[in-house]
Formats: sequence, structure tokens, C-alpha cells
Amino acid sequence: MDSGPASDVAYPIEQLRLDNGLRVLASPDHGAPSVAVNLWYGVGSRHEEVGRTGFAHLFEHVMFQGSAHVASGQHIALMQAAGAAVNATTWFDRTNYFETLPTGGLDLALWLEADRLGTLLDALTQENLDNQREVVKEEKRQRYDNVPYGDVMERMVSLTFPPDHPYGHTTIGSMTDLDAATLEDVRAFFRRYYRPNNAVLSIVGDVASADAFTKASTYFGPIDSGELPAPPAATSMPPLGSDADTPPRAETSARVPAEAVYVSWRLPARDVPEFDALDLAFSTLGHGQTSRLHRALVRGAELAESTSATGMGLIGGNSFGFAFARARDGVSPERLEEALLAEVATLAAEGPTEMELRRAKAQFERHWLHELARIDSRADALGEHATLLDGPERINTRLAEVTAIDQGHIGAAMGRWFSPEQCATLIYRKDER
Amino acid sequence: MSLLPQPPLAPPRDWSFPVPEHAQLSNGIETLVYRLPGQHVVAVHLVIDVPLSAEERAYEGVATICARTLDEGTRSHPGEGFAELLETEGAGFGVDPSLAGLQAILDVPASRLGPAMELFAEAVVEPDQADPDVNRQVQLRLAEIEQARANSAHLAGIAFRSAVYAPESRASRMSGGEPETVAALTPELVRGFHRDRFRPQGATLIMAGDFVGDPVAIAETALGGWQGNDGPAAGQSTPGRAQRQSILIDRPGAVQADIRLGGYGIDRRDERWADITVASYAMGGAFLSRLNAVLREDKGYTYGVRMQFSPLRSGGSYAVQGSFRTDVVVDALTEAWRLLDLTGQPITEQEVADAVAFFAGVTPLRYATADGVADQVATQVLAGLDEDYVDQSLAALRAVTPKSATAAYQSLVDLDGLTLVVVGDADRLAEPLRTSGFADLEVRTA
Repeated sequence: MDSGPASDVAYPIEQLRLDNGLRVLASPDHGAPSVAVNLWYGVGSRHEEVGRTGFAHLFEHVMFQGSAHVASGQHIALMQAAGAAVNATTWFDRTNYFETLPTGGLDLALWLEADRLGTLLDALTQENLDNQREVVKEEKRQRYDNVPYGDVMERMVSLTFPPDHPYGHTTIGSMTDLDAATLEDVRAFFRRYYRPNNAVLSIVGDVASADAFTKASTYFGPIDSGELPAPPAATSMPPLGSDADTPPRAETSARVPAEAVYVSWRLPARDVPEFDALDLAFSTLGHGQTSRLHRALVRGAELAESTSATGMGLIGGNSFGFAFARARDGVSPERLEEALLAEVATLAAEGPTEMELRRAKAQFERHWLHELARIDSRADALGEHATLLDGPERINTRLAEVTAIDQGHIGAAMGRWFSPEQCATLIYRKDER
Repeated sequence: MSLLPQPPLAPPRDWSFPVPEHAQLSNGIETLVYRLPGQHVVAVHLVIDVPLSAEERAYEGVATICARTLDEGTRSHPGEGFAELLETEGAGFGVDPSLAGLQAILDVPASRLGPAMELFAEAVVEPDQADPDVNRQVQLRLAEIEQARANSAHLAGIAFRSAVYAPESRASRMSGGEPETVAALTPELVRGFHRDRFRPQGATLIMAGDFVGDPVAIAETALGGWQGNDGPAAGQSTPGRAQRQSILIDRPGAVQADIRLGGYGIDRRDERWADITVASYAMGGAFLSRLNAVLREDKGYTYGVRMQFSPLRSGGSYAVQGSFRTDVVVDALTEAWRLLDLTGQPITEQEVADAVAFFAGVTPLRYATADGVADQVATQVLAGLDEDYVDQSLAALRAVTPKSATAAYQSLVDLDGLTLVVVGDADRLAEPLRTSGFADLEVRTA
């Protein structure tokens, strides 16, 4: 059996910090005549205040509504007409903006990104804000309210973290909060977080590092830095069920085709090795058809139509992990819960077998190499590791880090964080009305 | 703060789709090898000549169940042991049955291609398809159909294909089979389908990546000895065109309605394909397309609306699609109808230039990875297209004019013949729809 990863990667990475604090990462790759531009801003839903949830995501929409020299909607229009794939996403820990395009459009991409970072507020109007608020409400209806089980994530994070915790609400936020957002609130949010010293710019593809740095300096150099607010408290909360508290349980019902059970854990933040160990344990529990949940619940006892388990790495003191099973006809969610937790108990007590661990690592390796194979996702990984972890070079050492995890590490991490007594539970019933 | 003027675009560097090395395995499988430096995860697609027309009408879904049981154990490695071995190699395995044919797909780090190919071949050639595994996959497929029908967008898609293709055509029904045909499947039928239909005749093997060792030798060892039966091949078919319909599927209390508005389309070999690609991008592909600019960016009616042509190997369909909050559905449809009419508002020079630049720009990136290349080549094989199809299609796009795009659009999009599918709250939608031009609206329960 091989002990190291089968594939080593060594992507070139060069870094420059502009005087205004913007971190610029360059990673040349001349495989295709394309370049990926990717900006990570250190602001996500965890930075939102109580009563102001959903702001980071609303803001992501507002960022496409124009700036001093760019009309509303023209950021995407100009980029698409330059042959770009362009988008943005918001998550708990960050907001990212990205475009991947033929190399000849790199200047335009950087100019557009710099214009909105430097001058967004010059163009922000009540009309733009109101329109994007409506679009976000449609997004919520389409992706959450009108979809079976669409409210699960919101319910699970609120069972796992206190309501005022940075991770106690989801990125889509509350529509009441969005309705209450004034133009001044949105302006304040921009001034607070959209600063070059709160951003990482990654330029990956068919461009030499020196050129990437020159262009980044040209377009972003004139933008002023600003004072950043103190980051939200990132104290690590103990596992659920600590201090004799009973882990929370909840039930809900909706018009869904199958009943289901969801369980979730508080986990350590993603910047500690314990999290990687637990992530492999979650992979063993619920990733793929040889995972324990699939074997026991789908294939073996035929109680479930599907199962899954995932560790979701977060940076603010804790991460989040969850597992679920959807019931076959005639199986009660209680029966399913019992079977699911039995698998959790066994895994927690015995740990993954050596073969299971090897499989989990091999699967991680393929996913990781896939992630790095494209310039756009590689640029995103660079921004992620620079923003949330020690630095972008980690993308070249991740495989070795994960490969080095052994059964002892996993056992120790599970001993503290992972047991049937430490999870929140949501029973999802069929509403037969 | 002073900012620089908007910079111009520099012309793109020349690019063309990768060229394969050709080989033939000793059993005749055509093999295409794409060497892609830096692509450490190798992609292997085996296209097998099993169109869904090979299924009997009463047993539709048999190809899907057959595909889903391939990796549930083989004669050499029965039961779960097979998937364990595959996953231990870091391999991902998948099977994609489609109307024109089926592909078995392997993704694996290059250093493990050899052992993973052996397992891949076992799954394709000698799957166990034991009774409990087949029966379970049948039950899981039935549950999957229920989940799909509970999802507004999926339900709209299912209803639209059955409304746009003639009922006797396979394309009008779900590729994975309908509840009654799936429920009729037995292990004998599934194993029989594999025995009769899975064979090297007519198969194409596509391998892409940064290889360690000789990929053809690896393929020969794994698949070269495979022999299949000699029965006739199932033919390809062109789906018929259904009559225009207006259908409202009731989801009581739904906060949004999913809309599909469209009709019968064309395939990639139609001479209007490049023209309609440009026209439909201008109408509903770009972010500031005519539809999205008004319905999302001006009016805030939707998170997004698009118009898309979906080609089959022969024939196809097109639809405007989006999800709209219930109280604006009629307004949105009225507005869409107005926009869809190119009379007096033809496709412009700028729209053509933007569309061509977009497709030319995103193309190199799409095919910069092993799976991107292999997936495209497999699509080409299934659609009966040439190896240099991507280059041909870019050249064809560059020849599109505002006039040719407008003409193609007007020849294909018949505003009086559009089929409508709405999935939403019938109590609130049926009457407004009937009085706004859909007098023939048929309301169905979900």
C-alpha cells in the first residue's frame, strides 16, 4: 500500500501586497489562452449583525448594479462580451467575485473590479437597491421556499448555534431584515468591508506574474485602504450536549415526498488539524456508496432512499457537520434516526478501518486534483487559503497534510467532537394535507 | 480618486480543440487519446451504442437500472467489495444513459489508471446485477421520480418534454423511465438487457489526461478481450412533434410558478444551428439578454430567466424558462411574449458580436480539463458530429449575421404555436391565464 499521495502538485504561486493592503496572488498557467480573476472579500454572513441578516448576500447583488464608470448590469455584460464566465457567491465566511476570460480581457476585468471597489457608492441608488431586494426575494423563493426540504439548512444552523452566533443564520438571511435595509445601511456596509485591505486578488492563467502584478497595481493601486472593523468573535463553542445540556431536537412537516432525519454537530474551526481528521470521518460515514450510512441504511436494511454526511469547514471558532437519511416508504423517521445514530455510535467508538481511511483519502485526492485542474477553481482555492488559512501555498501541501492523518488523529478528534450525544436532530415529516 | 479609462480588449490568441491520437482495440473499439499536460485526473468515457430506443415500451427505464447496477458488484468482485476497490483507487465511476446512447465514465488520478481501468472494464463487461441490487435500484428509481415530481422545476421540465414531443416518441418520456414501466422491471429483464445490448460493436473509447504509461495498452488489457453478441443494433430515431398545448399543473400554495414556454427545435447539424445559438443568446442567454434585462433587472420578477435550445441527436426543443412569484406570472408572460417577437426589433449587429465573442471566449476554458474534453468528445460521438466539431462550430458562429440570426429565429420560434407549461398555484393562476390568451388552458393535478 502506498503511504503518500499518488500525485504531487506544485503550482507556482507569487504574492505581492499593494500599499493599500490588497493581497495579489499570481499563478501562471499557459495551458489555455485564458485567465481567471478572482477576488475574495473577507465578509460573509458571519459578519452580519442581528437584525441585519442577509446583507452580505444582498450586497453581492448590489455589486453588479454599476459604479462611477460602469452602468447597471454592465459589469457582467462587458465581461460576457469579452468572452468571460462571470459570477459571485456569498458564504458564511466570505464573498467572492470572479471572471474567467481570454487573456486579452484581463485589463478590462481588473478595471471593472477596481471601479466597483473604488466607486460603487457613486452609483448606488434607491431604485437599484429596491430592484435587487426583489431579485433576492425571488432567489429565496426559488432556491429555498419552493423546494422540498429547502428550509433544512436554516433549521439546522439555528439548532446548532445560538441565534446571535455568527453561524446562527444562513447567508440568504431574513426577508424582514432585508426589507428594513436602508440605503444608508447598505452604504455603511460597503464602507466597512469593501476595502482593498480586506481582499485577496488572484490572477491565474496565461499571464506572467510580473504582468499580473503590474496590472493589479495599475488598477487597484489608487484605491484607498480603510480601517476594518474588529472581526466577529471567533471563540470556539464546545460540542453540543456539553455541560449537561441536552442537544436540541426539533420537528417540522411539509409537503415532501419522503420523511427524513437530519443531525448536525458543532465541529472545530477548519484551521485546526482536528477538523481535517473529522472531515475524513464524515467521508467514511456518508460519502459515496461504500460509506457506512449507505451500506447500512440504503443497501443493507433498505430503510433509506438516500443518505449523506458532510463536514463543512468554517473559520469563526467552529465548523459544522451534518448527516441525513431520507426514509423509504413505510419507515418512520424515528426508526431511521435510530439506525443512523447506531452507525454514528459505532464509528465514534471504533473509528474508521484502515481501508476506509485509505478510501477516504483517495477520494479526497481526486476531488482536490479536480479542484486544482481548472484555472478558475484554482484561483478560488488560492483566495480561500490566503483569506481564511495561513496562506495560498497551502494548496500545494493539502494532499500531504490530509495523507498524514492517521486513525489515532481521527480517534482523538472524534473523542471530543463526534458522538450520538453531541448532535442536534431535526425530524422532517410528511404533511399529508 | 482618479481612475483610468476603460481599457480595450486585446485580440484573443488562436485556439483550437485538441486533436486525438487514434487507435483500435483488438475487438474493434475505436479509441481516441487526448494528451493534456498538467491534467492529473484522467477522464475515460466509453460510449456504448445503446440508444434508449433499445428499450421496450413497457420496460422503459431498463437501461437506467442496468447502468445503475453496473458497479454494485461484478462476477470477479461480487457485492460491495467491487465499489470498495474502485474507491480505494481514488476512482469516480458513473454511467449516463441518454436518448442517443450510453456512456460509462471513469475519473481517476493518472497514476492509478491501470488498476482502475481493470475495474471499469469489469463493471461494463461482467456486472453481477444480483436480484436484490436490481430490485433495490428499482425502488430507489421510483423514490427518485417522486422526489422529482415534488420539485417544481423538475416537474415543469418533465411536463414540458411530454408536451413538446409526440407521445409515441421516447423523448416525450423521462430517460430513466416512468413509474409504471420502472415498476415492471425484473432482474431477468435487466440482466437480459445487459447481455443483449452492451457490446464492443459500435463503441468508442475516449481517454484524456496527462498519462503515466501507455493509455492504449492499458485500455487493450482491460477491454480488448470483450466480446459481445451479434444481434442487430437498435436504430436512432427522430422524435415527432406534438400539438401545441397550454398546461397548468397545480401546486396549491406554491409561492412561485415555474414556467416553460417553447416548442420543437433543431439539432446541431441543422444549418441554422449557429444562427439560433446567437439569437437565443441575445434573447435569453446573456445576463443582459432581452428577457433577463427586463424581467429580472428592470422589473425584479425573477431570479433569472433564460431561453435555451436543447438539441437531441436528431431534432430538439427550445424553451423560455424561469420561476416567477405568483402575482406577476401573467405580467411576466405578457412581457416575454412581446420580447420574443422580433418583428420590428431584429437581432442587432452588437448582439451578434457580443454572442460570438462570448462563445469564442468561454470555449478554450471549457476544454482546458481532461473531463471537459472527454465529455465534449463523447457528446459529439453521441450526436454524430465530427471530431473537429468545436472548431467548425466556432467558424460557423463567426459567419452569423444579424440577418441570418433573425431569420433563423423567426423560422423556428412560432409565436402562435408556443407550448406553455406552468407549475404553480392553480387557484390563483388558472383564471388570469385563461383570460390573458390561454383560453385552452388545461389544469392538471401535480
